[in-house]
Amino acid sequence: MTLTATSFDWVRQLVHRESAIVLQPGKEYLVEARLLPMAQQRGLSGVSELVESVRKTPDPAVTRRIVEALTTNETSWFRDGDPFTAFTGTVLPQLLAARRPDERLQIWSAACSSGQEAYTIAMLLSDALPHAATRVSITATDLSRQMVERTRAGRFSQLEVNRGLPASMLVRHFTRAGNEWEISPALRRMITTSECNLAAPLPRLGPFDVVYLRNVLIYFDLPTKQQILTRVRQIMRPDGWLFLGAAETTLGVDDNWERVVLGRGSAYRPRKGA
Amino acid sequence: MRALVIDDSRAMRRIVGTILKDFGYEVREAADGRLALDVLEEGFVPDLCCIDWNMPVMDGLQFVFAVRANPVYRQVTLMMVTTESETGQIVKALAAGAHEYLIKPFTADAMRDKLALLGLLPEGVTA
Amino acid sequence: MSLQQAQPISALLDPATVQSIADEVWPSLVGDGEAFVPVPVAPPAEVVSAWVTITGPWSGSVVLTCAPATAQALTENVLMTRPPTVVDDEDVADALGELANVLGGNIKSVLPGESKLGLPQIGSAPTRGRLDDVCALVGQWRGNFLTITVQGAAPAQHSSGTEVPQ
Repeated sequence: MTLTATSFDWVRQLVHRESAIVLQPGKEYLVEARLLPMAQQRGLSGVSELVESVRKTPDPAVTRRIVEALTTNETSWFRDGDPFTAFTGTVLPQLLAARRPDERLQIWSAACSSGQEAYTIAMLLSDALPHAATRVSITATDLSRQMVERTRAGRFSQLEVNRGLPASMLVRHFTRAGNEWEISPALRRMITTSECNLAAPLPRLGPFDVVYLRNVLIYFDLPTKQQILTRVRQIMRPDGWLFLGAAETTLGVDDNWERVVLGRGSAYRPRKGA
Repeated sequence: MRALVIDDSRAMRRIVGTILKDFGYEVREAADGRLALDVLEEGFVPDLCCIDWNMPVMDGLQFVFAVRANPVYRQVTLMMVTTESETGQIVKALAAGAHEYLIKPFTADAMRDKLALLGLLPEGVTA
Repeated sequence: MSLQQAQPISALLDPATVQSIADEVWPSLVGDGEAFVPVPVAPPAEVVSAWVTITGPWSGSVVLTCAPATAQALTENVLMTRPPTVVDDEDVADALGELANVLGGNIKSVLPGESKLGLPQIGSAPTRGRLDDVCALVGQWRGNFLTITVQGAAPAQHSSGTEVPQ
């Protein structure tokens, strides 16, 4: 094992500080397994060398990669169900009726992570609409360049495709690439990716008909949450739809939204006159 | 809710069974498709079968065919839980009548997600 | 079936793919946070192997090899048992066999064409075939010697293992 006790301790404290996740004693082998490739990539002989080099010359990008390597779990497809069944059942038909036939619907996956959410939407659209690629554009953004690149690549591991993706969709929309699965080129083309920091003024995006802003507001304090919701609303169509995470709400944060019950979940729409 | 775990590996039966029991299922086991059919015929008709593919005597695919051929078992949800993961294999299983497909190795979270998709996650279990 | 392999495994599979498969198999079967680490340690005096055969355009075996005590510990993890529960030979054959099964199945799906997976076996590893028809990962689990070897079938196959009892 290339990891020393002091190095493990440093990593443990870093991960706890950055992610609140606790690495118990006994997880040394996990740290070794996850960080050894990164150490070797940098031409270092072991994990403790990697730790020493970061302690000597702090580098936020490397620190972030270390934390990500130890805390990344697979995210689900169709996470929580309702925001997607509601999309095809209610939101999409209403939007298609409200828009001209030549208008492309604009959808934004605003914290796309490794891309499951954006491709879930793409698959649903492809199954629901003929020539979906000509009728809809999906924008997928994330703070992390690594995540944006993952979304762009559209490749997923066996463990990742196991997470809530219906098997029938797996066989129809993916092909195997080695031990991984790759989304079909047609669906990959429906998605435009870019880096975007929600906590800063937004780049030129939208206007969007549907925004998925799920499980990301929790990382921000109240004033920032408010700023983000305001910025998002400003680049949405007045009759657009906002989906938040299952346990999230605009209540107590931003009055400029109307909550609409959809199935067992809800969506938010810009309040008229806001 | 009841589940039948069908796998020639005792270790895998235990792993799957434990996950399902944690979700509140009553779980029975069978080591191959033939023994699994016996369990059904004895009167234990599960809501869910978790089925391995490669087993002696009667494999998982044959079991799926047999169950789907019998209208008495129409309400039984069939999910493959197997290391067979080529597209062709998955298509074959779905065409035979399997409702879902979980690839080994899987995590408890993956099982939970599949059950949620199938509407088979008991109330009170957080998705 | 032609005795001549179309291509050696080295042309079909690289160690990085096998490692990424192991990276998924270990946490799932052996336990959260567990890992097969590709850093070699000294081999033990005695080893035991579990394997599955692959039969198709490429034919051979996926073999897991470790010391008997490691096999015991792996089994305890897979079965989630702790002392004073004792795992017996049947448990070890079953658990190790299932590890080989899951590794083998995933490796099989990377190979071209349609192949069949045999049922797990345990004992002394099958004889290797051509020297270049091997993809071996030498490493450790929790500091214990462990290898994952994808090896082509030997021309005259003598099975020295026992099928896992059903």
